[in-house]
Amino acid sequence: MEETYITVSEVTDYIGSLIAGDLNLRHIFIKGEMSNVNLYRSGHLYFTLKDDESQIKGVMFGARYKLKDLKPKDGMKVLIEGKIDVYKKNGVYQLYADKISKDGVGDLHQRYLELKEKLNKEGLFDESHKKKIPNFPKRIGVVTAQNGAAIRDIITTIKRRWPLCEVVLFPSLVQGDKAGENIVYQIKRSEDFDLDTLIVGRGGGSIEDLWAFNEEIVARAIYDCNTPVISAVGHEIDFTIADFVADLRAATPTAAAEIAVPPYGEIKNGVSQLKLRANMAINKQFGDNKSKFDAIVSKKLFTNPSEIYAPKEMMLDNLVNRLEHSSQSLIMKSKSRLDLIKHSNIFKNPDEIIKDKQENYLLQISKLEILNPLNTLKRGYTLAKSEGKVISSSKDLKSGDELEIEFDDGNVNTKVI
Amino acid sequence: MVDENASFEDNLKELEEIVAKLEKGDVPLDNAIEEFKKAMDLVKACDEKLNNAQDTIAKIVEDNGEIVDFDVE
Repeated sequence: MEETYITVSEVTDYIGSLIAGDLNLRHIFIKGEMSNVNLYRSGHLYFTLKDDESQIKGVMFGARYKLKDLKPKDGMKVLIEGKIDVYKKNGVYQLYADKISKDGVGDLHQRYLELKEKLNKEGLFDESHKKKIPNFPKRIGVVTAQNGAAIRDIITTIKRRWPLCEVVLFPSLVQGDKAGENIVYQIKRSEDFDLDTLIVGRGGGSIEDLWAFNEEIVARAIYDCNTPVISAVGHEIDFTIADFVADLRAATPTAAAEIAVPPYGEIKNGVSQLKLRANMAINKQFGDNKSKFDAIVSKKLFTNPSEIYAPKEMMLDNLVNRLEHSSQSLIMKSKSRLDLIKHSNIFKNPDEIIKDKQENYLLQISKLEILNPLNTLKRGYTLAKSEGKVISSSKDLKSGDELEIEFDDGNVNTKVI
Repeated sequence: MVDENASFEDNLKELEEIVAKLEKGDVPLDNAIEEFKKAMDLVKACDEKLNNAQDTIAKIVEDNGEIVDFDVE
């Protein structure tokens, strides 16, 4: 059997055509780490893209124009869009890059979305778990970098708004691999300091700079913290995971301080207002009572009491008058009667009266003499009596009645026959 | 008398309640006078706290747990 031998070019062309015909390789998205980076004066970029197990040669034509701001260097993780083809001269397949971008951002964003979803499902963002931020804190803790702008902004703002409050800084890394752990440590530590509110944050930065605030351990530490937490990561548009899990989110450290304390001027004003209102209320009540009082006072009793008691007084005078008058007249009457008595004959000339009376008496006696039945008896008349009573009619007697006959010189008892 | 230990917030809250009560005007005069006196005591207590406010004290908790004054500058 006679074999047919083909040339190197022929096999290379064949492999090239196989690769070129594969849809997956014709337009490929590939990620890896750059090495052997070499940007030629021609403007072409040569590099090796690798991961832990493999590597592939790569080239980008017109890289100076295509790369824009990106400056590829060894060790940079990149995302590349392009195709795989065979370089016939060397007989190697390689990556022809059209677009190169820094990896990490996209990857971080993916992790961010996944964590957000996971924690949300767990209920870490639930409103029901949010604690109320105290209105009048006495001591506020801040977990942030000691040398950053954030702590300065917070202290300046609190000083200006509510100097009654103390600020305690728990210095922490806020950037880099150890930042997350450090933030967690300081949050936990702050729990022992009797804080009313805890602010956790830092100034603005790129997503990588802020990454610690998207870490799960930080989110859980904030969730577990017993002190109400205000997140204060300096960025306006995007939310960090810390923002979702915190009891309150502030867009900047300054905003966090403003939320954390009340405005001094307004509160002072408010107290003055309350004082004024209390005064007005009590004055009104006094006023109401005063008008009642005035109404009473303006009555005759108070304004012109004599009008009320004058008539009574007159009545009294009248009565007294009458009493005096009547008693006097009584006395007068009695006196005149007494005078009359005094001037009567009995006191003036008692003998005459006695003589008068004696004469009168004798006259009466003589009259009586005439009428005296005993004198009649002397003339021979008798008096018939029954049971002590004088009998003046025979009809008053019946047979057998005892009868006493009275004579001038004695009595005789008889019986009616 | 105002409770010495009452917080600024407690005092302010009580003051607000008393003023609201007084403004309703249904408190008998004797009680109203008492409430008014209490309100004035609370105003005094609040004002004292506000007026005696020192500059914000800033501290830092060092790694060793020591709390020291923190100078912003």
